Formats: sequence, C-alpha cells, structure tokens
Amino acid sequence: MKFTPELEIPGGCIKPLQYDDIDGLFELYKHPEIPGQRPLEDKEQLNRMIDYSVQMAATQRGMMWAIETDGQIKGMVSGFDWQPSNLRIVMRVDGLPALTVEERAGALKAAIGFLSKKYHVRNFAYQWIEGQSDDIKVALSECGFTLAARLRDGWRTGNTEFSDVEQYHWVSSDDKPVPRKLGDDDELGQNLNANKRGES
Amino acid sequence: MSWNFETEHFFIRLPVSDEDGAALFKLLSKNSTVAHIPRLPMTVEAQALDELRRIAMRFETREAAFWLIERKSDGDVIARIGIQYINWMMLNAQMQWELSDRCGLEELQEVLPVIVNYLSQDLHLHRLEMRLRAGSDGQSKLLTALGFSCEGTLPSQQEFEGEDIDLDVYSLLTGELKA
Repeated sequence: MKFTPELEIPGGCIKPLQYDDIDGLFELYKHPEIPGQRPLEDKEQLNRMIDYSVQMAATQRGMMWAIETDGQIKGMVSGFDWQPSNLRIVMRVDGLPALTVEERAGALKAAIGFLSKKYHVRNFAYQWIEGQSDDIKVALSECGFTLAARLRDGWRTGNTEFSDVEQYHWVSSDDKPVPRKLGDDDELGQNLNANKRGES
Repeated sequence: MSWNFETEHFFIRLPVSDEDGAALFKLLSKNSTVAHIPRLPMTVEAQALDELRRIAMRFETREAAFWLIERKSDGDVIARIGIQYINWMMLNAQMQWELSDRCGLEELQEVLPVIVNYLSQDLHLHRLEMRLRAGSDGQSKLLTALGFSCEGTLPSQQEFEGEDIDLDVYSLLTGELKA
C-alpha cells in the first residue's frame, strides 16, 4: 500500500522514505539542525523509522518525505501531530547544509499542497527553535507562514537548558470540505494505489 | 507520594469516581465555567461520571491529573484545576481550569502555589502552558495577575459551534508564580 506520493519540486522531488535511501538519511541524521538533538549513531534505527513513516501515513498521524535534488538526499520534510478532525498539522524540514532556502521552501510547498488537496488539511504550523538558522524563517515567509506565538522555554536542549520556540502558521483560505455520507462517491479510502480508477 | 494537598481553606484533591459526580456536574454544567476552553457545558449527570472515569484512566497512565478544589467550611467544590499533555522530555504541560463564580483571584492565590510547587519541585516540570479562547478577558486577567505571560495567539485551532476558534497562549515558567 502506498500513502505517501512522490512529488516534483524545482531541481528534484520529495519522495517516500525507502530502505534504499538509508545511507542518505543516515548522513542527514548525523547533522541534526535542532538544538539539543544528538547525531544518530546506529544506522539500523532508520529501518524502524521507515516502517514508522508508512504506519504514520496509513493512520493519518503524520507523513514523511525525503528531499532529493541533484540526485542526492539533502533533507526531509515531515508532517506530524496531525489532527484530522481539526484539519491541522505541524510541519518540519530537516536539511543538510547543502539544502538551499529555495529547496526547503519548494519541499514545504509541495508537501503542504498535497496534504491540503488530498486530506483537506487547512492549518499548517511550523516550530522554529531558537538556535536554528534564520534561513528557515526566510523559507517559511516564502511559503506564507506568519509568526503566531513565541513559546518561552518550549524546547529542552539539556538537563536544565531550554530554548524558545517560535510557532508559525499558515491557514488556507480554501472552503472547508462538506461532509458526505459514506458510499456517496467512489473514493476508496486514502490508499493512493487503490484510488486509481480501475484498480483495487 | 501523595497527590492530595490542603491549604488553610481548601482541600486540593484528586476526584473519587463514584462520589464526585454530582459536584463535578454542578461545576461543569455552567457555560461560564467552560466557555474559555471552549467546551459545551454538561447537560446530564452521566457526563460527569464519564468524565471522572476518563480522568482516572488518564491519571493512571500519568497523562493528566485533575484536582477538585473543595472548600473546607462547607464541602463546596469551587473549581477544578488540572494538567494534561504532559511532556516528560520537554518538562512541560498544559494546564486547564474550570472556575465557578466562587473562585476568584484570592482563592487561586491560595491553591495554585501548592499545585505549581508540586509540579515544579516533585515532578520537575519547567513550563506550564494554558490556552484560552481568544477574547476570554476575565480568565486572561486572572492568569496575568498570577504571573503568566501572554505569548501570542494560535489561529484556527478547532471548530466550535460552526466557528473557527483561535487560542491565546499563556505560560508560567518555574519561579514566576505571583501569590
């Protein structure tokens, strides 16, 4: 079953996490952008993360893509803390130093576009943590996000050390979906493979 | 480790599932008590019993703890104060309160230090957050008077009675409580 699609972005694509990409993902996790996050040491843990990424998407708890440009995995774009009933989700991009602001914004826009169109998610949040690059804020601004709140000491970076979190939001102005009765259309759940006409 | 406390005028205690239904229903059946969350007031007492059972289960797994504030002189439950969404990694939690019209700043200044001290000293939580429906002026005045800081407004957090609800975020860090 496939729940996470491959989507084009300028210069490359965002694509589901795959076991073939573990080396690229391991490189990414060796260079965490988030303050206080330790570099990953055991590559095997990524196998489990890839399993989780499928389970998360299948149960609408989150969705994870690898960002690939110039034939190289340069980052990941993810949605987590997905609240389907409230049509909202928190987004996150993790990137290697080689990931440009344009690529970051392109990946974010592609993921948001898909979640918005396919799942009618309307409210996208992004948490920038004090200590992260200001370039991330440039990418957020390009995607239309605005600062909503600064959460004091919202992120723990050590035993007794904390960083502030700036929470940004972008809320779609599209109309909300109108609830329908089950069986009123031929939408066969959210499995992308099953949704292709003529396939089951 | 006891989760029940008392002050000069109040018992601050975890509810008892088969005893506190009527008191909780009396408290949560008033719109003025729950409008800031926002949530609909309870309409039948069975809802209070359900809520007590749910809270007991959430406490068993240490996901949440809700205390009833009972006045010693007459046994009246004047408020419920709780924490939920406890993040043991980040050492923070969300606080929620439902206050009757018998619970104002003076009462909160008596009971809240006991709860907050317990959360910071015994549970080592560093940040307490409260989210209010934007425009809940009475509640925000109480929070500010108690030392909470307003951090901004999160847009469209939920739909309630056909309306998109923005939530104001307030927080209190260790040592900031004014009492």
